[in-house]
Amino acid sequence: MVKKNVIWLASYPKSGNTWFRVFLTNLLYETIDPANINDLAEASISSSRKVFDDYTGLSSSDLSFDEIDKLRPEVYKLQSNESNELLFKKVHDKFYLLDENKPLFPPEISLGVIYLIRNPLDVLVSFAYHSAKPVDKMISSLNNPHFAFCDKNDKLQNQLRQIIGSWSDHVQSWTEQKQIPVLVIRYEDMILDTFETFKKAVLFLKIEKNDEQIKKAIHKSDFKILSEQEKEQGFKEKMIKSKYFFRKGKIGDWENYLDEKMKNEIVENHKDIMIKFGYLDSNSHLIF
Amino acid sequence: MNQHFTYKAFGLIIRSQFEIPEFIVSEGVPDVEIKIGTVPDQLIRVTRKGVKFQATKNEFLIDVDNVAKYYVKNGCEIIIETNRDNVDKEVRLFLLGSVFGALFLQRGLIPIHGSAIKFGNSACIFSGISGVGKSSLAASFIKKGFPFLADDISVIDNNMHVVPGFPNIKLWKDVLDKLDINDENLNEIRPEIKKYHLPVDTFFSKEPLLIDTFFIINPKNTPGYEYEELTGLQKFNAVKSNTYRYRFVGGLEKQLDHFQVLNKLLPTIKVYRISRPQSPIMIDEFAQYIIDTFKLNG
Repeated sequence: MVKKNVIWLASYPKSGNTWFRVFLTNLLYETIDPANINDLAEASISSSRKVFDDYTGLSSSDLSFDEIDKLRPEVYKLQSNESNELLFKKVHDKFYLLDENKPLFPPEISLGVIYLIRNPLDVLVSFAYHSAKPVDKMISSLNNPHFAFCDKNDKLQNQLRQIIGSWSDHVQSWTEQKQIPVLVIRYEDMILDTFETFKKAVLFLKIEKNDEQIKKAIHKSDFKILSEQEKEQGFKEKMIKSKYFFRKGKIGDWENYLDEKMKNEIVENHKDIMIKFGYLDSNSHLIF
Repeated sequence: MNQHFTYKAFGLIIRSQFEIPEFIVSEGVPDVEIKIGTVPDQLIRVTRKGVKFQATKNEFLIDVDNVAKYYVKNGCEIIIETNRDNVDKEVRLFLLGSVFGALFLQRGLIPIHGSAIKFGNSACIFSGISGVGKSSLAASFIKKGFPFLADDISVIDNNMHVVPGFPNIKLWKDVLDKLDINDENLNEIRPEIKKYHLPVDTFFSKEPLLIDTFFIINPKNTPGYEYEELTGLQKFNAVKSNTYRYRFVGGLEKQLDHFQVLNKLLPTIKVYRISRPQSPIMIDEFAQYIIDTFKLNG
């Protein structure tokens, strides 16, 4: 029997996905101490090579990217079938269709998608820091329609290939698809209007928790707690080249790093989507 | 088709209707027969099911799209159904991987996802998740003069010996470059994938060797190398989770058998988790660190 029990936590990198997963873990498990950042509720990213190999019985390293993509929906269906609980899956791939117009993420098992979005200027600064890449190189990535993770065919990379696309492509792919119900959450609202924003997500997910429980989970997911945990025990999702994963988490930090030219290269390329999601006003003035 | 080819691999005499150039030619009464034929569409009373495989206690079926379907029975028979004109390297790639993995589990052996190298008079296994560098580490040890037993799947028999697989390592282009190995005359595993078969005949250790140490390689996001010895439940779980295609173990009864074999193995070995920086990967330096730290001799 097909169950609709998968919730995709989708985002372009560095847009608040981890923070949201910490909140979910605190909300669902309600432990006395804050959830451990190295032991979050979402068990494995959708591009996990290990999960793919285990569920297909094949080595993804012996398959082409297209062969892998063709099998990925089947892996998610089997995971959904085996789970008696809600299944949260972190995703950085954009939403796209395979042969015969079959989506990579099967709607028939999907309860919904929470799409986390953040001002691309802040994404840029954060992404550059985490990848230890110069900002101008990162600008090309955000603007590149062919941007992908783990897409080399001459080496084995730790995850399956993920087609990301440009920042605007990514946002559009998830927010304009009509096959899976989607709730868009802005990183800025998670900071400025925390309770209402998280409550909206809880209602969308139909998780039965009251305001008190939501407030407690928010409190236990405070940036300071995450940052202290990382300083004490490290965080397994951090890239080796960056010092910390939980860096600043601020709104508008881009102003400290980008010059006018850099800023314009992003704004001009992503104007329409930035206006649509409230990052630019109708006169093209930045809001954050 | 009356022609037969007989080989020895993984301690088994294997008789095949087609040539398997990766294996070492041998003779004797076969333990395993490989045939071309028709495989069942479905198994009856399936106890384990994956996206592309089904398993019962003694049967296993796997379907690789556009390559072949494989059926394994009672640990002694493999049937291959393919639309291809002959059993080419791609058909053999999956045969020598997942399909043999299922065969070992049916025979009650312990296939470990990892490579095996001879140090002194015993064998060490290097295991860990895909992409962690098991094969590249094996290639580096070979370069340093240590004999090689197996790549990708290392089989431990019921006498706690690692049995030699076959003299071939699969290496990606970037690893070949790092190890200064010219790929000009090497065979790609598949047309679209820049991963090559490296024959290592002259370095192949043909005798089974008692297993000594089981290393689990682990990438970490901080600099420097580290290791820790695993004991108790951690040790059991580490070996279990690095069992090759553990999900193929057909059903509860087979699982209990498997646990018994693992419990017999564990007291005889040491298990270490060795962590290396996720990048940059210095293959030769890492191999030397392991040799020095664990005093591994030729």
